[in-house]
Amino acid sequence: MSSFILKRSRSGSSLLSQNPKTKSSTLCSSQVDSSAKSNQNHTVSHSWSNSTVAKIMRRNLKDWILAPRLKNPCGSTEVLLFPRGCRWFSTQAAVEPSTSDGLTVDGIVASQWTILDESEGDWKSHAAAIAQSIKVIKKRLQWKNLNVRLNLLSAELNKPNLWDDPVHAGRISREHGSLMGKMKEVKAFEQELLEHIDMIKLAREENDTELELESLEALLTMRRKSKEKELDALLSGELDPCSCYIEVQAGAGGTESMDWASMVLQMYKSWAQQRGYRVTLMDEMPGEIAGIKRATIKVDGEYAFGYAKAEVGVHRLVRISPFDSGKRRHTSFAAVAVIPNSGDSSTHVQINESDLRIERFRSGGAGGQHANTTDSAVRIIHIPTGITATCQNERSQHQNKASAMGVLQSRVNQLEIARQAQMNAEHTQSLTDISWGNQIRTYVLHPYRMVKDLRTNYEVSDPDSVLEGDLDGFILSYLSASLDKDEDGRQ
Amino acid sequence: MRVSLTRACRFYTSPITPKPSFFSPRAILNQPFSSSSSSSSSSSHSSTPKPKTPLFLKPPKYSATLSDLKKWHNWAKALASSVRSTFADADNGPDSSILFRELNWLIEDSLEDPSLIPQLGFQNNSQSVRLRIGLDELYGLWKQRIEKRKPFQYLVGCEHWRDLVLSVEEGVFIPRPETELMVDLVSDVLVRDNDGLRDGFWVDLGTGSGAIAIGIARVLGSKGSIIAVDLNPLAAAVAAFNAQRYGLQDIIEIRQGSWFGKLKDVEGKLSGVVSNPPYIPSDDISGLQVEVGKHEPRLALDGGVDGLDYLLHLCNGTASMLKPGGFFAFETNGEKQCKFLKNYLENDSACSFCNVSIVSDFAGIQRFVTGFRQ
Repeated sequence: MSSFILKRSRSGSSLLSQNPKTKSSTLCSSQVDSSAKSNQNHTVSHSWSNSTVAKIMRRNLKDWILAPRLKNPCGSTEVLLFPRGCRWFSTQAAVEPSTSDGLTVDGIVASQWTILDESEGDWKSHAAAIAQSIKVIKKRLQWKNLNVRLNLLSAELNKPNLWDDPVHAGRISREHGSLMGKMKEVKAFEQELLEHIDMIKLAREENDTELELESLEALLTMRRKSKEKELDALLSGELDPCSCYIEVQAGAGGTESMDWASMVLQMYKSWAQQRGYRVTLMDEMPGEIAGIKRATIKVDGEYAFGYAKAEVGVHRLVRISPFDSGKRRHTSFAAVAVIPNSGDSSTHVQINESDLRIERFRSGGAGGQHANTTDSAVRIIHIPTGITATCQNERSQHQNKASAMGVLQSRVNQLEIARQAQMNAEHTQSLTDISWGNQIRTYVLHPYRMVKDLRTNYEVSDPDSVLEGDLDGFILSYLSASLDKDEDGRQ
Repeated sequence: MRVSLTRACRFYTSPITPKPSFFSPRAILNQPFSSSSSSSSSSSHSSTPKPKTPLFLKPPKYSATLSDLKKWHNWAKALASSVRSTFADADNGPDSSILFRELNWLIEDSLEDPSLIPQLGFQNNSQSVRLRIGLDELYGLWKQRIEKRKPFQYLVGCEHWRDLVLSVEEGVFIPRPETELMVDLVSDVLVRDNDGLRDGFWVDLGTGSGAIAIGIARVLGSKGSIIAVDLNPLAAAVAAFNAQRYGLQDIIEIRQGSWFGKLKDVEGKLSGVVSNPPYIPSDDISGLQVEVGKHEPRLALDGGVDGLDYLLHLCNGTASMLKPGGFFAFETNGEKQCKFLKNYLENDSACSFCNVSIVSDFAGIQRFVTGFRQ
């Protein structure tokens, strides 16, 4: 008996099932709940004595009558198992979980408890910090849109003819599952916070210092975890975890801009390497005198696309030109595009071999035994869409072809993603084609020194560090700002 | 794929034990050479040439500071820049941008930890890095690349070909990108195969570094095997080294000899014959790109007056070597040779061949002649 309760004791609602009045009706749902939540419950170990458990039980029985509480987790489990319960979200979203004395996460934020340093062992401070994080996380996940989207997906899943199109059905159920997972995680986190608060209050009432310390410790752990979760929530887009390609293209202005484009390329190479991503140069078209006309790099690693997508747009440089003998000030432009490299089959467009034309380029002469060359550049053309991809930096033709094929596949996929995004405009944020008017950031080296993001007004006064790849400040401020804007704009 | 050094070295030290199997690698090592090649001697076992270790497999026993390496890099870059398009204009040789890329690959192969390359961009780095070659040798190598136009592949001792990294050295022909398609041609035949070609005996004539044989060995069925033949004992030794490095010593048998001379035992039994024989007309040899004409073995290039000497020899010999349904693919000098050979094979008096076709390379040049034995 006690082990059964211990295992589930973090869930207030499941304890409620012990209420003799409601036992018969809630027992079954609490069992569903326990099976669904057992994974989470295992993550925090509890070693409470039997007497503590008894106290908690008493306490909860008392509160049940005072403050009727939700059976949220049961409800969400039900939705998972029987999608027709989708209406639950639209109706339940308005009711918030609370502690035994009616304190909600919003309530905690509103009461503006002072947030002290982590080392200060004050539960209110921890609770306030966690509550604030939960608000940030919800905002970043676009909580309200998430609900709307989930309703939409649930409705879709309920259609009897859903599986007539298995690819579509697979996509819908995958997205539903992933959004549901995100929502459940936040709700569980919220619930955990409220339970620990309950526990601390109870422990104080009962003068159980051991329990109070334990709960305080648990809050501190949550507080630390909440910072990670905040960051994770910034990258909650479907394609964010993917690797990506970053493309840099020089703007008008000849050598000046080509030099700037190669500086921008170097900036991303350094940034990616500092983040621990693997960088591969796929394709590079050098300028006649200096710099590059265009280049593509592949950035491999978790969330490469999620971060790099913040860099899409036109980057502007102001400096004294090293190519101008008159030492005049010049403004140069470079455009950056980012393409997700999704291994996911739902966005993977099947390319027919017969739709491809493969060419060796920059080759001249008789070839074969006549020519010793290390250049085996390959261009692949996808005839139906006209999309092309080239690769010239691998050491064999076979590898150039494979890499170019990877770029081509991603470009064709991106076209498909854009098409899907158009049909489903409120959800996927697609990368618009870059127009030269779309300036996102200015780098000034002269007459003063500054880098300023025109979207967020985030700025730093040390351009060198930025050009050496210190971009995370810009990226994170843009990601959070863009998510805030989205949420506000759509409420 | 990079095989560990210990494994690569083992090849030199461990004696290859003669096996009782039908196809045994001992052929090249234990039989007296009967070739007329000028580079081979008449003695048997002890004269087997020892292949050089490619740079990327050498132990990193040298070191230099990043700033010294950068100094060399700047010097080498400047030297490469000075070339501009002079080589390209003269004989279709490499221009500066290709040389820059080769320079990066040279650093990649020289450094024990190539992930340090990006740090070369920063000045005054006194951090020490481990190298597989001394800095002074690097100066010498790059000088040879630019001034003597020694092929890049001989500098680093390897050529990346398909998904393979093959050891090559002076005296051994460097496999070409065009030839990569040969493996695809065979692979396509094996996919459509219903005559058991994938599990049969194949032959690569004039294998050089073993490129085609190794490429094909990796697409054959579990019972398939391939004999790689080369007249040049150094090429045979390098091919054996490469086959060993990819663990294919039981599938590829190297035979040192001339064309069909050493293949009496498999006459009429072969599933496939492939070859990239010398096909350059003798008169063109003197005008070749310096990297090729002055550095690569003429034995692997010169195809006689019209370049067809060996291709015709192959066409004539293949009919009796292939079993019915067997496949052949030969690389040629281009459209003229392709058309001539197609016509020649189709009008063969004995009507030995069917489905003779011409396949172009990625540059759009008609490059291969393929077909089947009736």
